[in-house]
Amino acid sequence: MDSTSTAETDYAVFLEKVKRTVYIDNLSPQVTESVVRTALGQFGTVKNVQFIPNYTGPKNIPCCALVEMECPRQAKAVVLEITQFPFMMSGMPRPVRAFRAEEEMFDDRPIKPGRRIQCRWVDRKDPDFEVASKIKRLVRKHAAEDLFLLQQQLAQEEKLAKQQDETLKANYKKFSIIDNVVSDGTAPGLAKLYNMKVFDA
Amino acid sequence: MVEAKTVENIEFKWGKQRGVGGKKKDVKFYESFSYDGVEYALYDSVYMYKEGETEPYIGKLIKIWENADMTKKVKVLWFFCPREISYYLGDEKPPENELFLASGEGVGSTNVNPLEAIAGKCNVVCSSKDSRNPQSSDEELQEADFVFYRTFDVGNCRILDKIDDQIAGIEVKFLLNRVGNQKFQWTESYLGEKVLIEEKVKGLQKVCHDSNGSNSKSVAQTTPASEDKSKPNITKDPHENYSGLSKRPKPDEGLTRLANGKFPEASLRQPSREGFKTNCQIQEVTRRPEADRSKWFKGLPWEERMQTAHEQGTLVLLQNLDPSYTSAEVEDIIWHAFKQSCTVKMIQRTALASPHSGQAFVIFQKREVAEMAVAKLDEGCLMLSNGRPLFGSIAAPCFPGKQSTFFGHLVITKLRIHRQRVMKEAVSTSHCSQPNTLEYEMAMDWCLLQERSDIALRKLRQQQRQEMRKLWATSVCVGIVSLPTSIVIASSLIQRDAQLHVHKHNRRNVYAESRSSTD
Repeated sequence: MDSTSTAETDYAVFLEKVKRTVYIDNLSPQVTESVVRTALGQFGTVKNVQFIPNYTGPKNIPCCALVEMECPRQAKAVVLEITQFPFMMSGMPRPVRAFRAEEEMFDDRPIKPGRRIQCRWVDRKDPDFEVASKIKRLVRKHAAEDLFLLQQQLAQEEKLAKQQDETLKANYKKFSIIDNVVSDGTAPGLAKLYNMKVFDA
Repeated sequence: MVEAKTVENIEFKWGKQRGVGGKKKDVKFYESFSYDGVEYALYDSVYMYKEGETEPYIGKLIKIWENADMTKKVKVLWFFCPREISYYLGDEKPPENELFLASGEGVGSTNVNPLEAIAGKCNVVCSSKDSRNPQSSDEELQEADFVFYRTFDVGNCRILDKIDDQIAGIEVKFLLNRVGNQKFQWTESYLGEKVLIEEKVKGLQKVCHDSNGSNSKSVAQTTPASEDKSKPNITKDPHENYSGLSKRPKPDEGLTRLANGKFPEASLRQPSREGFKTNCQIQEVTRRPEADRSKWFKGLPWEERMQTAHEQGTLVLLQNLDPSYTSAEVEDIIWHAFKQSCTVKMIQRTALASPHSGQAFVIFQKREVAEMAVAKLDEGCLMLSNGRPLFGSIAAPCFPGKQSTFFGHLVITKLRIHRQRVMKEAVSTSHCSQPNTLEYEMAMDWCLLQERSDIALRKLRQQQRQEMRKLWATSVCVGIVSLPTSIVIASSLIQRDAQLHVHKHNRRNVYAESRSSTD
């Protein structure tokens, strides 16, 4: 049958594309396509960059993208490098994450050939109805749990960011004070007074 | 290093002696012993605890002896767990109870330890399909604490599939599964095993002669080595941090995805199961007749359509789909269920999304239709072939606008004079952070946080999966939905370790609990 063979080839082509693609997470919203291209271009040729839009989650979660490389080996190299060393994109110090892409990350995927779906309406009198309603409720509960966990994570991230910010500011201030003292002559003057040497690094 | 503490009240008894050795022939080699009520034999796998560490090491006893000064020693050939060699595994995520036998020449494959460091016996089964390995049954594999079929060469630092003929001077056939019963009966009154024992004794004596030369050397090292395990910098500092990182949350999701993917096929085998008569009719979901017509006009890009749909009230969020469905399949489902055509977009799965259920946006043609569909899904139940009831709601998507808050990118506020000029030119290039910078330290903090969240997410998913399974088990259509342990579908998606996962899924939960209780 013609349609099945084209479906299969389509699917095979799609699978091959999946192997070449890297899924990147923890991206800042300011990251643009060209940034991703140049960044990952260090590992090989980038064929395509597609950001995954976030329609359902809370507004603050970091962005993610699918990057298609030239061949699976490059994709593997990207993932390996990013996992071993913290890779920064468009800002520091939060590193990005990278995984191999999976099929469900693509929304324009072709149908897997050979799969058949069946569906039916279940009546109230059917003994399964109870179970089905329970399942529905459970799934809703899971979704709420997910959301809650996500919000907790965001709160923790915020806390860490704040903490790092403060430490950084404190360090910066300390270093700038030292710098100033050395540059405007206070240190050398004091050194003369105490008969000590200023280490001019 | 665990000191050879005086064995105060821990019961110990030597078993069968193998021979003598050493320079003055005063070292006695044994084949078995009983320690603290447990019988151990040569080539048994044991747990060894290092002081201060929560997880025990696992090794195989390859030599047991007693010195002239009455100290008892064992030489242990180590097993590596995936965590310890995660760098060399790279992308691969083997199951938690897979081990790798140490092989090759180099530091770190074996160690001599006092016998008292043994903490317990361990059941490690070799699942290799090697011809020299007596194959174990499925039950044995399931009951085993650990399995191994590969080795890790400490000399080349590589994972090998092929097992050499000799490892650490011992012929490999002794290291693989034992012929016959796993339990080594060392009382000769057990007639059934007697023949086996004699065979082994002969084999062992041969080995004993072979390795006699090396024996004297190892015995001479009576100083307790300062390291329990001296590894060649296999894990350097940055790698040590990342060896935790490389455990991604994916394995569980991959597993359930596969498990779910099997369900539709399973239902095909039992179409007659729907024997109990109700009003429900099963409909086969085939392509809609007008599927091709939609290709005529491209239409606006999805986001605009979604926005207009949202304003018009025709946008519905459909939930509890199988995550592997595609948009086209969902459109077909809607067609069959409601006799309505619509356009569907499956929501792409991100690392945070649940692997059990997928979601999709559906744009109906009219608002009333959308509302009717939602209402109908609410009251009745549209069951898909793997026991999933769909439900939906009028969707309220949030469109990604200008997102200004992103945690983690820090900026130093420079002096105001410089700001205008500098800000325009400063472009932070993408780079890998180097270990000796402040930035690296902070990046490590973020990595740690990420790991924590990953673990929390994984736990949640596990719990959710258990809850789902419980509910599914109570479903009447149990024939369709029960764990497909007998159904093995070879598809390109299934890797070997995923298969083991399916077999051992229940085991793993129990095992995880028992592991945490020993900590």
